[in-house]
Amino acid sequence: MNRNTYILSVEGLNVYYGTFHAVHDVSFNVLPGEIFGLLGPNGAGKTSTLSAIEGLLKPRSGSVIISGYDIREKPLHARAVIGVQLQATSFQPELTVSEILKLYAGVYGVELNKEKLQAILKEIKLEDAAGKKFGQLSGGQQQRVSLAISTMHNPKLVLLDEPTTGLDPQSRRQLWERMESMREQGHAVLLTTHSMEEAEAVCDRVAIIDHGRLIAIDTPQALIENNRTNPEVIKASRRGKITLEDVFIGLTGKAIRS
Amino acid sequence: MDKHIPTTATVLNSLLRADLTTQWRNRRSFVLVLLVPVIILISWKGVIDKLGGAFALSSCITIGLVATGLMGYSNSIARDRDKGVFQRLRVAPMPSWCIMASRLIVQLLMITLLTVIVFIAGNNIDHITLSPTGYAITFFTAIIGGAVYLGLGQVVVGLIQNPETVNSTVRLIYFVFIIVGMFGEFGILGEQVKEMVKWSPYGTVKAVIAAGMLPETWNGDTTTSLFVTIGYAVLFSVIGIRKFKWNNK
Repeated sequence: MNRNTYILSVEGLNVYYGTFHAVHDVSFNVLPGEIFGLLGPNGAGKTSTLSAIEGLLKPRSGSVIISGYDIREKPLHARAVIGVQLQATSFQPELTVSEILKLYAGVYGVELNKEKLQAILKEIKLEDAAGKKFGQLSGGQQQRVSLAISTMHNPKLVLLDEPTTGLDPQSRRQLWERMESMREQGHAVLLTTHSMEEAEAVCDRVAIIDHGRLIAIDTPQALIENNRTNPEVIKASRRGKITLEDVFIGLTGKAIRS
Repeated sequence: MDKHIPTTATVLNSLLRADLTTQWRNRRSFVLVLLVPVIILISWKGVIDKLGGAFALSSCITIGLVATGLMGYSNSIARDRDKGVFQRLRVAPMPSWCIMASRLIVQLLMITLLTVIVFIAGNNIDHITLSPTGYAITFFTAIIGGAVYLGLGQVVVGLIQNPETVNSTVRLIYFVFIIVGMFGEFGILGEQVKEMVKWSPYGTVKAVIAAGMLPETWNGDTTTSLFVTIGYAVLFSVIGIRKFKWNNK
């Protein structure tokens, strides 16, 4: 398959922080209409990989091609086709929901008239909170605003960094449905998550990263099937039935990471 | 098909609108910035004839500039960096310099507003008036002076990551500038300190602003002060920009 066929193509990515080698030679591709999960323990290199894809940090070597654009050579073109939801809350708390939506509409070059603004607010169920300051919203509402902004310019690839952390089950389910609807519309989604339940529920393929290295990449079902006889995975199994979490623990170990 | 990349003007326009709205919502902090110069104008009411109107106004504007550039700018940058506001903007299809350009334009507007308010307060409280040329030149010199303190603020956020530490550091610098600057200038702290203050960022900025108010008093020393002021602005900006990190993680 040609690299241009993929929405995202990461090849031989190496990221360093000083002398610390955070991401080792990572390569993977994401197809249009695919939900791809990047799984790994704390400090495994998920966010560093995502930051290199977003162009927020410069890798020592390797390439990131987004919809045919190299993020280092054509950063603005590459960023125009991606939507990003970062891990941390990232909007000025003094601005209202509609002011934030207007700001990002301008920044992404999206025309946002009154009707379109209302439609977005309705979609994220915040019609009554349009005039509320971002800092006054609940965690779930903030996540919905953030997701609306990351998709308002109809991006080909949406990058979600631990999007369901801290959400209640209802908000989490709603987010999964949004991801699935994005997939149906042909958007690709790359998400990092700690939740194996989430990865099994929504991801078409997952990659497991540990100590900065990609140690497995496949569909959740295939990962379970291929590791059914792995002694470490069997040891990690708690109920006799092998789950993606057992595979994850079996491959990355039981030790708690920082 | 190529995705639409917005023009720099569109991006700057959106950023400016948001930054001005944020500034307006935080107007209480600007009122506090104005408070010190206004209190000085009130407390110096009886000695204005001895000190001279230009001396009083230039002291107040310089103190206001220190507060705006150091406390207003640095604290807002440190807070937004900590919250990840910049990182979110940087993943959008726009050059990163637009983010800072918008912030700086807002600060320059604040400097202009501060200068206007000090002029109005000076006129109402102490009946100080300048020639039209004096007023016009002062806006220009205030912006040059403001650049020194914005640059110094940039150095602080470049060297210090934690927003609380940035806040306490700029307060300390502000306090030192006011106390050492004003008392040193009066000669209370000795001749050596007086000379040091004269060529410090406080002294050169104040000299340039004072001479701008009374253009007929502009001399060789003022021109040197202007060059030193520009030198400080460039030096601080270069260090601040080189050391600055968009993310404090």
